[in-house]
This record gives sequence, structure tokens and C-alpha cells, in this order.
Amino acid sequence: MLRYNFKYELRLLLRSRWIQILSLILLVLFGFSTFNGIEKVAKRKSDISIAKQQVQESDEAMLKLLDSVERGLPVSASSWTIPTSPMAVGNYHPRVAAMEPKPMAFVATGQADLFTHYIKPTVSGDDFALNFTEMTSPVQLLFGSFDLAFVIVYLLPLLIIAFTYNVLSAEKEQGSLRLLASQPISIRKWVFQKLILRFFWLSVLVTLSMLIVFLLVGTETFEWGGIVSLLGLTLSYMLIWFALAFLVNLFVGTSAKNAVSLIMLWVIFVLLTPSVINQLANTLYPMPSRTLMINEMREHKAEATKRQDEILDNFLRDHPEYAINDSTQSRNFYHSYMASQKVVKEALEPIVDTYEQQLHKQQKWAKKLQWFSPAIVVQESLNQLAGTSTADYESYRNQVIGFAETWRNHLMTYLYNNKPFAQQDYPSLPNFQFSYIANATIGLSVLVLLLIAGALLAFGFAVQGRLQKRGLLSN
Amino acid sequence: MISTNKLTKKFGDFTAVDNLTLSVKEGEILCLLGANGAGKSTTINMLLGFIKPTSGTAEIHGLDVAKNNLKTKEFITYIPENLMLYPSLTAVENLDYFAGIAGKELSPQMLTDFLKEAGLQEEAFQKRISTFSKGMRQKVGIALALAKDTKVLLLDEPTSGLDPKASNEFGELLQKLKNKGVAILMATHDLFRAKEVATHIGIMKDGKLRQQFVAENISLPELEKAYLDTMNYKEALS
Repeated sequence: MLRYNFKYELRLLLRSRWIQILSLILLVLFGFSTFNGIEKVAKRKSDISIAKQQVQESDEAMLKLLDSVERGLPVSASSWTIPTSPMAVGNYHPRVAAMEPKPMAFVATGQADLFTHYIKPTVSGDDFALNFTEMTSPVQLLFGSFDLAFVIVYLLPLLIIAFTYNVLSAEKEQGSLRLLASQPISIRKWVFQKLILRFFWLSVLVTLSMLIVFLLVGTETFEWGGIVSLLGLTLSYMLIWFALAFLVNLFVGTSAKNAVSLIMLWVIFVLLTPSVINQLANTLYPMPSRTLMINEMREHKAEATKRQDEILDNFLRDHPEYAINDSTQSRNFYHSYMASQKVVKEALEPIVDTYEQQLHKQQKWAKKLQWFSPAIVVQESLNQLAGTSTADYESYRNQVIGFAETWRNHLMTYLYNNKPFAQQDYPSLPNFQFSYIANATIGLSVLVLLLIAGALLAFGFAVQGRLQKRGLLSN
Repeated sequence: MISTNKLTKKFGDFTAVDNLTLSVKEGEILCLLGANGAGKSTTINMLLGFIKPTSGTAEIHGLDVAKNNLKTKEFITYIPENLMLYPSLTAVENLDYFAGIAGKELSPQMLTDFLKEAGLQEEAFQKRISTFSKGMRQKVGIALALAKDTKVLLLDEPTSGLDPKASNEFGELLQKLKNKGVAILMATHDLFRAKEVATHIGIMKDGKLRQQFVAENISLPELEKAYLDTMNYKEALS
């Protein structure tokens, strides 16, 4: 039976123009979404590149100024901006802490339209108040991004529904089912084979369309490993929708009822479940107010200002290494400021920790419940593949905070030792290097999606036998 | 080849087929006559295994249909009132597909030979079924019976809606199959065609086989009278 189904299914699909229509739709959807994704990545790269260019120019100016100062030449710059002061270097010549896009970043916008991809942490800035959010149009956020992940997670199931909802019911309604059922074949096996063949042909179309689009649109960052992961996720997600279509074809009945049932499943898995999990995560683990954090920060700063001398004494007692090489023992505004920054930071740590803990709890909750919806699993995995997941941005935030600390500590040694910054110190300035977290869960996601699809298909085979005993073809 | 023993089907309180016992041997054609709702199609559905009988048994080629449903279908060709094939496939392709899934691998030559034998004109072989009349589709059904080397042919109102010429051609095809030893059960309203093709004729009413004749022993007017008498039996009783 499989050989004849294979031989004629493609012929039937070609003659009913399904293959041609699907190819066209897939090419347009994949083409447009990939183009959109690539444009966004290009903008991100360009922003980072401009920022790096600005730092390079600023560094060149700094080195020229240092050269002039070191040679005793007069300089036309405000005293507080002259880079012999470590605070001038730390505040006016910061490094770029950039989150370079991953090769597959064009696949999913993820959190990329909410967070910035480069920051220049300064030596006197507040780490916890570093602003990682971007100016974003609320209208844009409302509609989301038309990226490849959107096409795969939201639109591809709709195409599958249109392609599969009436495999059995159309035979019933056209009258050919009775002739088919009078042959020595099992109808459920026949439906299964038809759907598996349609899955096969759609997989071929999806794979070819994606490859054609990637080659035509020309991703500079073509990465085979990423493409294989992307296809693995897409095909296993498609198989789940084919398995659902298999169950609906066997258990529901008329084409109209099948279509409505599948659309309802789409609404439940793609729209409702993610929203409910998100809402519950926010309700169960609410994030602390950012306004509250800023208010507390101001209060602590005001308090610290009143006790600056005491704070500085305590700080130096705790850090005797800063005084060892300092023969001047000169103390100015920045010595007190930096010492009080540390106090303010320590005082605010519980609030910042609460924010991180709540974020972790939310993520843990969502991760646990993601298996209720294959759409969440695929969206999350595509975000991971693109390096735009919540975890990626959290990792970036932590790495930037870590780098800000390194930057500050490096220059504080100069400050507290009252050692001027010189040209020869420039090469030892710390630089930021972002490293992405590993995509360890993508393979697991593919495996789980395949297991879910297998379980759904097995369920169809196990239960449909009983339905046939009740007389599936009686009308 | 085809036999039922006290075959009964109830849908709730309604008895569609009531203790039906019949037998059709090789080379016999039994035409079941009866009004709508007499139980003819339900009997065929049970012989195909589409419906489980409430009680009694149906056998094809000596095998219990309920217990060996897929096996019995190897011997059966079924032609419903409106034989629906795949409209976008040609006659040859439809025959190849249905014979193929039934386990009969046919060469292109064999496919055209069977269609020819079933009386389909050669220029129609490569035409899509969507352009076919009902009579032409029935011929593809007969070609399928020939291709499957069928032992049992079940026909449900096959001549309804056919013009007299097509109906006559269809009758001739049934005679051909009968002569090949096929056991044929045909449910029909068409007394004339039944008299023409059948070896045996049964009249059903309210799920029961009320009367049965050897076709050659009864004339058409006698058959018509017997049919009308059976149909009016209830009214006569009241």
C-alpha cells in the first residue's frame, strides 16, 4: 500500500496545485522573515561597530592628549577630562561591552527588540542601574516581529492544518472512502501513510525553501550546525501537528468539524498556553519595582554623602593595599565617591538579588511548564539558537556587570594610589569579551518533540481500533 | 461464496435486518429487491464489515466477515450506487492505485486490457475521471473486479441513474463476471434489470427476506406482482 500511496500522493498533490501553492507561500514567508531578521542583525552589528569606532577615536584622542601631557606641552582640555586622571579614563573613555550577534541571530528576534546590545560601563556608574532596555515603539512590540521563528511557530501549523484537516473526511464526503474501505487495507494505516507522506513532502518543501532563501538572501553567517538544528526543530514541531491532525482525522468527523478542532488546538497550544504560563509566572513571582529600587538607591546615596569621611576611612581600613604606594595621601571627591558607591551597592544588594531571584523563579516556572505547549518549546529553542533568549540576555547582563566591576577595580588602583594614568598603561586596560551560553537543550527539545509526536501517533493507533469495532464506516 | 445465517442488525429499537439467511454460490447472481429502508444496503454493509451485526453471521468465501474482515475483502469488489474515484487521476491511474493497494501489481498492458475488457473506450483510458459519466465509472469498477480476480461482487443500486443503454451494457458485464464464476449480490429497485441478469431474486421488506425465486422460473409480470404484493403485505393485513 505504501508504494502506491507514495506513487500517487505526490501526483494528487501536484494536480490539485497543493505543492505549487505551498512552495510559493513558504518561499514568500521564509524569504520575508529571513530578510527581516537579517536586516535587524545588520542594524545591531552596525550599532556595535559604530560604538567601537567611537571608542577607537576616543582612545586615539586620549593617547594624543596623554602624549602631550607627558611631554609637558600645553593642552586645551578641561582639567577633569585630562586622562592622566584614572577617573577621566574610566568615565570618558569607557570600553564597549557588546553582545555580538550569533550566526543564527536572524532566526528569532526573541528579547532582542527589548534589550540593548552594547553598553559602555563607566567607572562611577551604578552597575545595578545600568540600563539594558532600548527605546522601543509600543506599537512594534504589540505586533511582534515577523521573523523566521514567528513563521515556524505560528504560521506553519496553520499551513499544516489547511494541508491535513480533511485527509479522511474528504474521502468520506466525496464518496471514495467506501471504495477504499472495501479494499483489504486498514483505514487507519491508510490515513497514517497519507499523513506521513504529506509530512514528507512538506518537509522537503520546507527544507528546500529555507535553503533557497538562505542562499538567495545571503546570510553572511551561514552556519551548517545552526541550520541543522533549525531544521531539526522545525521538522519535529511539524510532526507534532501532523500527529494531531492524525488524531483529529480519526476521531472527529466532517471536514468542518476537523478544521475547527485543529484551529482550537492551535489557539490552545500557540496562543493560550504561553499567555497563561506567562501570566501565572508574573502573578506568582512578581518583579520588584524598578522605581522602588531607584528611590532606595537615592536614599542610600544621600545617607552616604552625609557620612563620606567615615565611609572613606572604613574603606581604606578594609583596603590597605590602596595606600601602600601612595606617598601623597591626598584625598579628593572621587576617593569618597567611589568608597560610598561600594557602600550603596552593598546596601542595595538585597533588592537587586530579589530581582534576580524572581527572574530565576519565573524562568524556572516557565521552563517546567513549557512542555504543555510545543510552541513554547520551539520558540524558546529558536531563541536559544539565535542567542536572543531571556537566559542569553541575563548572561549578557551579568557579564557586563562583572566587566564594570573589573573596569572600576582596575582604575581604582590608580585612584587610591594617586598614580596618574600614562600612555604605557593603555595596553593593560581591560576589554570586554562576551561569551554565549551553550545550546545544550536544543537536542533535548528535538528529542522530546519527537517523543510527543510518537506518543500521539501511538495513541491514535491504540484507540482507533475500538472505534472501528463500533462501525466507523456505517454512514 | 456469500452466505448469511440469521443475520440481524438493530439500530436501537429499529431492526434494519431481521434474521436474514441467504446464500449466493459461484456463478450466481442474487438480486435483492425492496423499497428504501428494506435492509438491502445494511446487508451489504455487514458483508463488507462496515457494520457489525447485532447477531448472526455473514461469510465470504467461507470466512466469517466479523472475524476476518481484511482477509474477506481480498475476495470482494464493491461497487456502490455512485462509484467515486479520484477525479484528478485518469482511468488507468485509478485502476492502478486501487488494484495496487489491494495487493495486485499490474503492468501498463494489463491495466489497459482490464479496462478494455470492462468495455471502456480506449480514448477514455488516459482521461481524468472528472470527465467520466456514471456508466464509465462503473466500468472502471468492473475493471477493478477483473484486475483483483474477484470472487465476490457486491453491488448497491449500480444501475440507478444509468440510461437504458448503459444499464444494458452493465448487465452484460455482470453476465461476463457470472460466467467467470463470480458470486454476485446486487441490491436494486430495478425489477427489469434484475429479471434480465439475476439467477436468483429475493424480495426484502422490513429487514426480512419475504420471498425468493429462481429467476428463470418467473416472468417479469409475475415478479412485478410478487413485488407489489410483498410491498402491500402490511396494508393488506391491516
